[in-house]
Amino acid sequence: MQIPVVRNVLEANDKMAAEVRRELASRGILALNLISSPGAGKTTLLERTLRDLGGEFRMAVIEGDLQTDNDARRVSATGAQAVQINTEGGCHLNSNLVLSAMEQLDLAGLDILFIENVGNLVCPVEFDCGEDAKVAILSVAEGDDKPEKYPLLFNLAKAMLLNKVDLLPHVDFDTARARAHATRLNRDLAVFEVSARDGSGMEAWYDWLRRMRETKRAQR
Amino acid sequence: MHEMSVAMSLLELAEETAAAQGCTRLMRVRVEYGALAGIMPEALELCFEALTRGTAHEGAALELVCLPLRLRCVFCGTVFGGEGQEARFTPCPGCGEVAGHVVEQGKELLLREVEAS
Ligand SMILES: Nc1nc2c(ncn2[C@@H]2O[C@H](COP(=O)(O)OP(=O)(O)OP(=O)(O)O)[C@@H](O)[C@H]2O)c(=O)[nH]1
Ligand SMILES: [Mg+2]
Ligand SMILES: [Zn+2]
Repeated sequence: MQIPVVRNVLEANDKMAAEVRRELASRGILALNLISSPGAGKTTLLERTLRDLGGEFRMAVIEGDLQTDNDARRVSATGAQAVQINTEGGCHLNSNLVLSAMEQLDLAGLDILFIENVGNLVCPVEFDCGEDAKVAILSVAEGDDKPEKYPLLFNLAKAMLLNKVDLLPHVDFDTARARAHATRLNRDLAVFEVSARDGSGMEAWYDWLRRMRETKRAQR
Repeated sequence: MHEMSVAMSLLELAEETAAAQGCTRLMRVRVEYGALAGIMPEALELCFEALTRGTAHEGAALELVCLPLRLRCVFCGTVFGGEGQEARFTPCPGCGEVAGHVVEQGKELLLREVEAS
């Protein structure tokens, strides 16, 4: 028998993402999906953010990694709630994994949920996890041509952090070039130059977080 | 890269579609995918074959049809084609704008036909 149909193969992911979004919206929780290459500094950025804003916001982290719970342990050390997801070879998080991780979190009174995606500039961009915004992190050690090579991430992200600016004297990264390419792809992109290691530039990122969270709250 | 999870969703959806007509064995599955859907056909075929091997669906054919990219410029409305991710960020032939092209066709990943018994 031949059965004609029109069904979206990824509809399961989209449906689950809508469920994540509904749950977070009802509680006014801001969710951010952090995407970068391996080692760009997502976890270090989170550690510092959680420490610096710990008195101001209740925050939780969902950590996605191929293997190990190292990152969840690192962020829990700041006192924030953290859940580790091991994708066992999967190159990205999906909304189903995020939804099951959320079940292990105490969402009451939460202000911000950070989702640290698997280190990869391609696949995570394609899978909606129910977040309010994708945040791209690009370290100056990786080369300033990344926005050109991986345009979709920089086109869809609401913010880009250029991390490890403390290393600028030692690398040939042209911040103006990276900025120009990224904002050409996305004129509304907020760009922050930071060092998650020494803390420089973090205040502007925190102000952005405050604004995003305020907007989310107001929509509840 | 994420073909395994795609193949799993696809198989599930195809089984569901067949079951709704009282069928239990898949013989052929036709999928249309957009040029920007991030699908590598060979990889998806391999995954599909691996998942069906040793099941009732062993030997089922996976037919993959690529839908060409169609973009629309949000500034002047020109509709144009192109190849690959870069096309989304190449200058509009109408006005030269590089960002903000809407993908009218190219991101689809659709199950379109199931042949089953
Ligand atoms: N110099 C410098 N090093 C940094 C900075 N931020 C992170 N690092 C270092 O970069 C390395 C990787 O940092 P992580 O925070 O683990 O990176 P990640 O993106 O979470 O990595 P994965 O989760 O494995 O993808 C560590 O050795 C950090 O200490 C920075 O601002 N400056
Ligand atoms: Mg990490
Ligand atoms: Zn145009």
